[in-house]
Amino acid sequence: MALTGLEIYKQLPKKNCGECGVPTCLAFAMALASGKAALDTCPYVTAAAREALDSAAAPPIKAIKFGNGSVIGDENVLFRHDKTFYHPTTLIIRLSDTLSDEEVGVKLQEINGLEFDRVGLHYSIDGVAVVHESGDAARYAKVAGLVAAGTDKSLLLLSSDPIALKAALVPVASRKPLIGEATADNYEAMVNLAKENSVPIIIKAEGLEALDDLVVKAQALDYKEFVLDPGSRTAVQTLENLTHLRRLSIKKKFRPFGYPVIAYTSNSEPLDEIMEASVYVAKYASVVVLNTSVKSHILPLMTIRQNLYTDPQKPIQVEPILHSVGDVNEDSPLYITTNFSLTYYSVEGEVETSKIPSYILPIDTDGTSVLTAYAAGKFEPEKIAEAMNACGIADKVKHRNVIIPGYVAVISGKLSEVSGWKVVVGPRESSGIVSFSKSIS
Amino acid sequence: MLIFGERINGMFTDIGDALRNKDPKPLQYWAVKQQEGGAHYLDVNSGPAIPTEERVAAYEWMVNVIQEVSDLPLVLDSTNYNAIEAGLKVCKRPAIINSCPAEQVKIERVFPMAIQYNAGVIGLTMDKKGIPKDAENRVAFAMELVAAADEYGLRMEDLFIDPLILPVNVAQEHAPEVLESLRQVKMLANPAPRTVLGLSNVSQKSPDRNLINRTYLAMAIASGLDAAIMDANDDDLVDVAATAQILLNKSIYADSYLKVFRSR
Repeated sequence: MALTGLEIYKQLPKKNCGECGVPTCLAFAMALASGKAALDTCPYVTAAAREALDSAAAPPIKAIKFGNGSVIGDENVLFRHDKTFYHPTTLIIRLSDTLSDEEVGVKLQEINGLEFDRVGLHYSIDGVAVVHESGDAARYAKVAGLVAAGTDKSLLLLSSDPIALKAALVPVASRKPLIGEATADNYEAMVNLAKENSVPIIIKAEGLEALDDLVVKAQALDYKEFVLDPGSRTAVQTLENLTHLRRLSIKKKFRPFGYPVIAYTSNSEPLDEIMEASVYVAKYASVVVLNTSVKSHILPLMTIRQNLYTDPQKPIQVEPILHSVGDVNEDSPLYITTNFSLTYYSVEGEVETSKIPSYILPIDTDGTSVLTAYAAGKFEPEKIAEAMNACGIADKVKHRNVIIPGYVAVISGKLSEVSGWKVVVGPRESSGIVSFSKSIS
Repeated sequence: MLIFGERINGMFTDIGDALRNKDPKPLQYWAVKQQEGGAHYLDVNSGPAIPTEERVAAYEWMVNVIQEVSDLPLVLDSTNYNAIEAGLKVCKRPAIINSCPAEQVKIERVFPMAIQYNAGVIGLTMDKKGIPKDAENRVAFAMELVAAADEYGLRMEDLFIDPLILPVNVAQEHAPEVLESLRQVKMLANPAPRTVLGLSNVSQKSPDRNLINRTYLAMAIASGLDAAIMDANDDDLVDVAATAQILLNKSIYADSYLKVFRSR
């Protein structure tokens, strides 16, 4: 992102000495903004100004990597329709070190089991937060070790005691866990611990002003792998903080807040907790730490996350394989459509309503609608015939009738010729499928 | 895209006479008519119709009689800053000061006044020496105005940079330079200052004025124009403003977008 003339001007000494070859600092700022001059020609810029100008050119939110492939931050819009959200929220389940070894094992098994396959997509939980609540440093290190041995997911180590944290961290440092929390009281020891082990660290303060202050102090230790925690633990306050942090980092390039943000759920009732977590996923949290690890609670949250982080510019597609609706049999009709999700689900919904078990074969049209695909040469009879062969429909039904969208009636002759099937021209709109289906059965 | 209706100007005979006779009717007629046409602001200019010593009182009177019939915000257009200040005092809604060149003395008079009355400022990319020919020098003046806004605490959204379009029949080479200036002004600050043109100037003394106006308007909007002082009752021209809004994805499309644009 290029700097504006005003941003540059504010960092210049305003001497108007002309030593840079440009008569005024204002004109020099303009020359810099348009790339016609180099900052080095000004002998009076301070190191701080140089640093400010360098960092202003960096992305608004730093990308932080940790654990097993977790990438957080590096976002640049407030609304996904402006472009897209890039890095899906990292979801982490909380595990206390007050659990017994056996309970830790049970919890880990439950967390490892949080894998879902749905509509052709695979979801899994990202990590485990090991929370130091026992007050016993040795116990904390032991539990961290058990968790590290019991899962290959990303780790978050949470303790306010730098000594306990160090003991837990050092044996698992190669897993690059996220650690925390650095507060006003302990930040020097904590940030240095993170720096020595090259792991990212959570900077936590109560409220945005205190957070700004603490981040600036922590940066002075010459380390910048940070994740922010504005300290709020209610949904309303957290929503407000998340919004301010994202706005300030992107709109105002406020550098101390140019880091990903972590949020913690506070509701103890799991259904309320998932609602709360959904808000954080929608409103800019890069990491959300949850208590519940029950499959039925986690699936809707992961679905929301997947949905929000899809790219709105790219059409959403369904898998171009043979789908069946209802309890299909050898007499079930076969509908052809495209793999654009809006198109496919419009057809599927109507076929379902018809109460006649049916097959639907979406042709791979790169996620475009029927007419768009037809106009672009992606819905040709040869291609449809090929897809029919490939999906093995001929072995599944005893009839040889295939129903095509009414808008492409013109391909029926050719399709019949290349496929050897009888082509039935269906209604133009999928809303006509219900009455149409009665006429064919 | 904001339309600043240009018609209440003492240079027009009916308005000039009305000012001399203290007859509010023509002013009120044009206030309502321009609002119906699609104007978002009304430009108010006494022109030379009123002797200098009476201008302060005249601006107060003009603002009052217009506000009797229209709730549109006003653009107070004068080189007499005392007259503008008199007008600002009676404005019910935040107004815009038209205008301030990039001259230190005038900036010192206008910007604090804008802050005091919560008004916007139209900043002209010129100084005492006149209007620069190329985009580069226009933008340099714009930068001085931007720096002044920052210094005085005027919000960038309240600064309207006017890169000064000249008649195409006598100053043809300025037209593309103004388009380039519009593009570059948007890079000066974040958020960017807004931009404005005295649009009708481009077609002074040319035939087919409306055609020239609306063609240039479309080109200027594509280059980053946010507002124009223009004929709010030239329906074809307002249609261009509405259509450009749609084609730049600034308003959500609807089949009735021309009507929607005017009804706001």
